[in-house]
Amino acid sequence: MEALLALAIGFLVGTSVYLMLSRNVLRFIFGLVLISNAANLIIFVGGRLIVGAPPLIVEGALAPAGIVANALPQALVLTAIVIGFGLFAFALVLMFRTYSTLGTLFSDQMRVAEPRENFET
Amino acid sequence: MSWYIATPLILPFLTAVITFLLRRNPLGRRISCAGNLLLLIAAFILLFQVIEQGIIAGQMGGWAAPFGITLVADYLSAAMVCITAITAFAVSIYALADIGTRLEQLGYHALFNVLIGGVIGAFLTGDLFNLYVWFEVMLIASFGLLVLGGSRAQIDGGVKYVTLNLVSTILFLSGIGLLYGITGTLNLADLAIVVQDLENTGLVTVIAIIFMIAFGVKAAVFPLFFWLPASYHTPAFAVSAVFAGLLTKVGVYAMIRMFTLVFVNDVGFTHTILLWVAGFTMVTGVLGAAAQHDIRKILSFHIVSQIGYMIMGLAIMTPLAIAGAVFYLVHHILVKANLFLVAGVVNHVTGSTQLSKIGGLYKSAPLLALFFFIPAFSLAGFPPLSGFWAKYILIKAAIDVSGWVIAAVALLVGLLTIYSMTKIWAEVFWKRHPDDRQPTLDRIERGALTAYLFPIACLATMTVILGVAPDAFVVFAETAAKQLLDPSAYIATVLG
Amino acid sequence: MDQQERTEDRSALIIGILPVLMSSVLFLWFLGFVPQIAEGLVIRSEFGWVPSLGISFSFVLDGLSLTFALLISGIGSLVFLYSNTYLSRHAHFSRFVMFLFAFMLSMLGLVLADNLILLFIFWELTTITSYLLIGFGHETANGRRSALQALFVTGAGALAMLAGFILLGLTIGSFELSEILDQSDKIQSSGAYELILLLILAGTFTKSAQFPFHFWLPNAMAAPTPVSSFLHSATMVKAGVYLMARLHPGFAGTELWLWTLTIFGAVTAVLASILAIRQTDLKLALAYTTLMALGTLTLFLGQESGYAMTAFATFLIVHSLYKASLFLVVGCIDHTTGTRDADVLGGLGRYMPITTVAAALAAMSMAGFPPFLGFIGKELKYAGALGVASEPVLVAGAVLAANALMFTVAGIVAFRPFWQNRKASLPRSPREAPWQMVIGPLILAVLGTAFGLYPDVLERSLVAPTVASLLGSIEDTKKLTLWAGVNLPLILSLLTVITGLLLYWQHQFLRAQLSDILAQLPSFDRGWDHFLGALKLVAFWQTRLIQPGLLHHYLFATFATVWAGLTLAILYGGIDFRFPNMAKISLQGAAVILLVVGGAAVTTVTTSRITAMAALGVVGIGVAMIFIVFSAPDVAITQLLVETLVVVLVAVALLRLPRLDVERSRSRIYDAALAVGVGTLVSFIVLAVVSQPFDRRVTDYFETVSWPEAFGRNIVNVILVDFRALDTFGEVVVVAVAALSAYALLRVTAQSKQKR
Repeated sequence: MEALLALAIGFLVGTSVYLMLSRNVLRFIFGLVLISNAANLIIFVGGRLIVGAPPLIVEGALAPAGIVANALPQALVLTAIVIGFGLFAFALVLMFRTYSTLGTLFSDQMRVAEPRENFET
Repeated sequence: MSWYIATPLILPFLTAVITFLLRRNPLGRRISCAGNLLLLIAAFILLFQVIEQGIIAGQMGGWAAPFGITLVADYLSAAMVCITAITAFAVSIYALADIGTRLEQLGYHALFNVLIGGVIGAFLTGDLFNLYVWFEVMLIASFGLLVLGGSRAQIDGGVKYVTLNLVSTILFLSGIGLLYGITGTLNLADLAIVVQDLENTGLVTVIAIIFMIAFGVKAAVFPLFFWLPASYHTPAFAVSAVFAGLLTKVGVYAMIRMFTLVFVNDVGFTHTILLWVAGFTMVTGVLGAAAQHDIRKILSFHIVSQIGYMIMGLAIMTPLAIAGAVFYLVHHILVKANLFLVAGVVNHVTGSTQLSKIGGLYKSAPLLALFFFIPAFSLAGFPPLSGFWAKYILIKAAIDVSGWVIAAVALLVGLLTIYSMTKIWAEVFWKRHPDDRQPTLDRIERGALTAYLFPIACLATMTVILGVAPDAFVVFAETAAKQLLDPSAYIATVLG
Repeated sequence: MDQQERTEDRSALIIGILPVLMSSVLFLWFLGFVPQIAEGLVIRSEFGWVPSLGISFSFVLDGLSLTFALLISGIGSLVFLYSNTYLSRHAHFSRFVMFLFAFMLSMLGLVLADNLILLFIFWELTTITSYLLIGFGHETANGRRSALQALFVTGAGALAMLAGFILLGLTIGSFELSEILDQSDKIQSSGAYELILLLILAGTFTKSAQFPFHFWLPNAMAAPTPVSSFLHSATMVKAGVYLMARLHPGFAGTELWLWTLTIFGAVTAVLASILAIRQTDLKLALAYTTLMALGTLTLFLGQESGYAMTAFATFLIVHSLYKASLFLVVGCIDHTTGTRDADVLGGLGRYMPITTVAAALAAMSMAGFPPFLGFIGKELKYAGALGVASEPVLVAGAVLAANALMFTVAGIVAFRPFWQNRKASLPRSPREAPWQMVIGPLILAVLGTAFGLYPDVLERSLVAPTVASLLGSIEDTKKLTLWAGVNLPLILSLLTVITGLLLYWQHQFLRAQLSDILAQLPSFDRGWDHFLGALKLVAFWQTRLIQPGLLHHYLFATFATVWAGLTLAILYGGIDFRFPNMAKISLQGAAVILLVVGGAAVTTVTTSRITAMAALGVVGIGVAMIFIVFSAPDVAITQLLVETLVVVLVAVALLRLPRLDVERSRSRIYDAALAVGVGTLVSFIVLAVVSQPFDRRVTDYFETVSWPEAFGRNIVNVILVDFRALDTFGEVVVVAVAALSAYALLRVTAQSKQKR
């Protein structure tokens, strides 16, 4: 099962990179969302997959009975999801602000910080 | 749970909360200074403890390593925490004059202190995912600081900065997932042991490259440094200074840590790549600087070039070379932050940082000229300033292992750095002002002037002291290098 | 106002007097060592500095360094006295004095250093102080250019020299000169000898302005006259010569040493003397003769014979004395008449008697008339040249040419302005310069005369010990005498005088001819401008290529690096790759994964904002369902919550932003190719990772310990709030700061909207 997920992750990364390379920064944001998901899935799949056995300790037991899913990557992914969301939210607001300040969403036209140089010798 | 280690980490966040609550109150900025002064004291206490006791480790929550998160302070970490605290304190005093109420009300001081907290967390953590978390804390705070104020240039620079750093972040996260996938652990010391015993070393090398690229973006090496010259010259000067001083160094630190502790299985491959990267970084950075006409843009490209030197030290991987990298790290933070602070004063006095629009400061503001001269010529590597020793140690390390090409490149880049620094010196200080004005420091009101010049003077003095009496620090750097190259003490302290 | 003036005057007085006193004290202190050094004693002292790098404050005082030290401090005190009056009214006088004094100390440190790296440090200090002093006329573009040129050229040489020093230290095992010079066999037989020598010579040749690095020295005349006199004739430029002399015992004797120094020295000497004739500015004329002197000194250092070394030691002193004197004289002329043009000046003898005397004495030493020290120096030079083992005729010829032209220039500089009739009017009416300015040149010129009349004093006290420093003992020192019988050197001296007179008589004609020829030849100085221009072009090209300001370019380069780096690593290391077992695929899992893939594909190609939002939502939900299927309920909940927020935020933003464009650009093919490449690699690597065995050690601990010690049944939650609580703290901070920053960004938008 991990194998199929690995292929899916690759597909997600591929589409994200394609979107991120777009001149339209909004597409970059889309790509960001997709690639964050991909990264989270990488962590998740790294811990190896187990179907139908969440890492919970039943009432009365001292430890989980039998094999349960790997809890650590789940915790990591949770943290990563939240952090990723924070970064995404800021990036989105930035793009929004870019449109209202610079008047464009096309990065090729964003030349304020690094204007077209006419290098005098 | 060691309070020596935890205090420098907790303090900045405390200060951040308090200053956020006080953001509409003028007391807020003074609290920021006070908080950073306390941080400075705590950092030095940590440093002295480490020198006395050796490596210190603290297990968060009392959970033993490698299960809980460990904070570790060896010589390198402790030194980095100290220099961070020094920079933070200097910039917080500078910010008294540089940052106006508008930015303060938007939360400048809170963001600044969170940034410092993230940086210190990154230096002290002994856990890989925790490192990621601190990188993100640092990153988001830097995002906020970069665009604070919302000028067009800032937004534009912000877009480049944010997008490229987010890519690096995702790469880092993926790398962690992959490394965890083959080792099953996140603790750095534990990783060092586990990775050694892995059979599939080819896969480890591939993952090492992922980390190299992720940290490489953060450290602004070639060919990943684009975000830096695109954005560093846009925000407030205090922000530029702290960025220039600290952010890229965290990336370099992470590289040093990972490539001396964990990824040492294929040094021939990884460190050869690092050597090439170092060479190209040095050259492209200094050539980029030669094409610029704005003080901050020149300095930004120089950051890239100097990072190349530090990576060179890592790549050569001998005790002297790593000691040189450590020395260079500290020297560069002191000097670069100082140069940006001086650029800020130049801007306040003359109204611009464009070389063609200003001039005459040698005559009308000699004190400022002196304060530029010291860090600039230290950067260029002239004795008896810190930069000379930093460059000397690295070049000697290169020649010791017959690295003729990289030594020649390092010397050549040093020469071109001289060219750049003298360009600023000649255009800003020596040349007459194009409008025949005589901008003096008297334009700035007394209190603000002290706030500007005190940190600059302190940092300059440190550069001189480090240059005139370097032995203590050379010995320190050599010990740090020894600890890095032979991590058994580190591993033993962490894992018990 | 009066009071303030008086205080200012007083402080100016102190600033002016203090260095004079201090340098005089230094001079007298060094003078006190003469008897001991003359006995053959060598004084060394050492203080620790950076023991961890093998660098200590070690000093050596022998004949060579004592000679230099006396020249530096002695001429220094006279120059300070001179500057007192020459520059006292200048706004930056105190800075000038400070830099000049710093220079003097650095130069003293250089000649006294016994540790290679310490020597280098002082070397670089002289470079910086020289930069600041040449840049004293920084308001003119030419002044800045000259300062940069000097800094850059000598700096480049210095850096090469540093590499040479490090190599030398590595070969011998120590940086202490006393140890190094003892082991000349080891040095000369080591494989690195040639490299070390060439690197060090790069440093000395640039500092001492040997061809082809000579072009910075004439431009350095942009500095005030005291600086030209002190640095660029008597002391700093001789630093290279000093170093070559200091290293002579260790390095000399090989063919490489002999020929490099002889050829470069000779070429410099002859070239410089030809160029000297062309100059009408007196300072420039003197600058070129300094070049010539440096060339001659270098030439003799290539040798090892007694005559050559004695010639070196004597000429060193001779030149410093008369050159410093003549420079100061030119300064006096400039100060009182307002010009330095040789074609304009004349008839000054009547108005400036003392200066005239000083000039005359110095010039005669320069021209080599007996009974001046210059004559003795010249005789020795011929003796040394004739003693050269191979090509003595060529070398002697070069020396003859140089000396003849020196004679001519002496006439141009010191005879014409004073004795010949004036042709044009002067900017200011000439009168005698103030005593502080005249006494320096006078003393120096008188010394040149005195030592000529009583050469034994000089021989015993300085020349012999210097020769000893070079050759190891004073025995090979030749006698300094005015009359050594009728021999070849005497004949050559006569020839020199005759040739010199001829050239002087015709010098204006020659000057015109030379100017024509030289205008057609490539000039090194123009080459410097070309070099800087080329540097800028390369810099611009690189910036256009690497940092064009386009985000797409940056992102593409970053992802391309990822692809290239990973491919390289995979090809190099080889991954032990097992093809995945596809048997265990469950239908649920496959369906969910297909959902995710489908959503991603739609997001990529759509141009409708709503579709994009929906597709993102589908992806998010799909991922959440993956979490559910694979036993991660908490993660799934979080994913769903966050995904909802993401879609909401995207919706709010998208509806206020313009439509998505249709992407028609051809270049997107490259982006697609890169994307496919990266995606494939990632799949590959993940597959490789999951096909490895997994170590459950850490996970087992959590499962075992979660309830008994951490009191939690939901292991994931326990990890988040207990085992790895610090991560959660960081996570909270990130979200809080993100909110704060986003709010700050939006607030400014709202404010600016309100203003409209």
